[in-house]
Amino acid sequence: MLSMDDSTKFILKRLIRRIPLQMLQKTLSKWTYLREDLDSLDFKQSKYIFTECLLSLFEEKGTTVKRITELEMIYVIENPNQGMWHGFQLSDAEEDAPTVDLIQFKEQFKAHLIELNSHVSIKIKKHTDEAIWIRIAWGSNFTNPNHLKPTYAVHHLQTPYVFVNGLSLKHKPLLFQALVLATRYGSMKDAHLSGRKLTAIRDLLMRQYQQMFPTKHPRPLQEKNPVPTNPKIEKEQAVNTENRMQVACEAFGDGKLPELQKAVYQLETKFRDDSNKTLKSREEPFRGVVEFSSTNLLESLRHAVSSGIAATPVSALLPAITQKRRNRFIITDK
Amino acid sequence: MSLLKPFSKTPEINGANILLVENEEQFQQCLAETIVLQNMNVNVNVRLARSLPLPMENEKSRPRIDLVVFIINLTSEASFKSAETSLKYLDPGYFLGKVCFVVTKARSAVPPERLIAVRKLAASLHCPLLYAEDQTTEGVTTTAHRLLAILRVTAGLIPMATSLYLSTLTCYTLPSDTDQLNFD
Repeated sequence: MLSMDDSTKFILKRLIRRIPLQMLQKTLSKWTYLREDLDSLDFKQSKYIFTECLLSLFEEKGTTVKRITELEMIYVIENPNQGMWHGFQLSDAEEDAPTVDLIQFKEQFKAHLIELNSHVSIKIKKHTDEAIWIRIAWGSNFTNPNHLKPTYAVHHLQTPYVFVNGLSLKHKPLLFQALVLATRYGSMKDAHLSGRKLTAIRDLLMRQYQQMFPTKHPRPLQEKNPVPTNPKIEKEQAVNTENRMQVACEAFGDGKLPELQKAVYQLETKFRDDSNKTLKSREEPFRGVVEFSSTNLLESLRHAVSSGIAATPVSALLPAITQKRRNRFIITDK
Repeated sequence: MSLLKPFSKTPEINGANILLVENEEQFQQCLAETIVLQNMNVNVNVRLARSLPLPMENEKSRPRIDLVVFIINLTSEASFKSAETSLKYLDPGYFLGKVCFVVTKARSAVPPERLIAVRKLAASLHCPLLYAEDQTTEGVTTTAHRLLAILRVTAGLIPMATSLYLSTLTCYTLPSDTDQLNFD
């Protein structure tokens, strides 16, 4: 009989604790490794007892860390809306970039990353929606790969976008280099787009949501959604309301919008006020940060404009979120 | 600048018109729907506006407005400011009992200065000040009833009562500082 070491047990316990009880069965049934043993597990038990049962089962089977990371990947792929996802953009594609396939990418990525840091544990899995999921546990010369803080990267082949979760500054250049080399691109840069929902970030960056393009001839909105109004209620400024709706839709799009949590505007400018000599004569730029946050920021902004809370016309900086596909801006003097 | 005048038009038979002014157009809409739904022997028409002055092109079709209601959302400074500027476009005749203030969201944590500012405004103009609950349907219905009660008087549908007479009874008076201390 093989036995698991303490760190493996700890990793497993942590993982089981992360998965809500009602999702355990679904997640575990997707794991091919456990297929035969699934019937022997009783999912009606309390989570604590269930974890103990699972631990003893794994101990019997001699489960390794690698196996447990498989389970973690299954869970994370199914529930990607955790933690902070950052969008990155690859640029300067080489000639053979469009021909990279999964096997080639896998081999190349692993080879390049291990060349840079031999103490990493990499796992690559292809999801049904054509996305490649990469899980990296980082280690160093003196430590084993840390499976408790893995980095996840999601890349859609043949697109220049990569979405990364849980990446530390130290490992950033390593991952970037390996990705750039494996995808046959020239460089990779921050897309300045981040949020809690991977799907939203992906939809926004890859423009996979319903968009609206500004037109010179405004469509009559009444035809789209006729609101039954009481003949006794009359709006004095009905034209304004329609205009505002139109402006809001043009600025942020129609229908469902990707869920972003934040938009940050960083201002770096010269201080312009003659009354304050100290600040005005300073060499360094004057810095200010404005941050908008909401559970669904784009929806909130659109509502603010359409309901008249925000003044119209809308500042070009707000629609820039969807137009430029980023939610971090640095505004400087021209 | 076009002033809204209380007596520039002839009244309708058995009819009353109420104008709801709110910068945000949210509470306004549901309040209007509730007012219209109330079973009254009077034909009540509701006009909605974000701010005054009202557009000139509606001048002809607009009936005589019997009661102007300013809805102020306490959580928003813009709401108060908008109401304040709109007041300038009302004929002084309206302030003889035909203007009313409704404050919403007074329950949420709002800066006390803003509430005091609204109270001062209502007191200085000798207008009634109502506090409305906008989150529940009961709250909206209650507000509608209270407004309709005032509207009936201002539209001249109650014999022997006039808006000026009513306003002397319902206008808001600012409590003096000593009362204020006890109140808190």
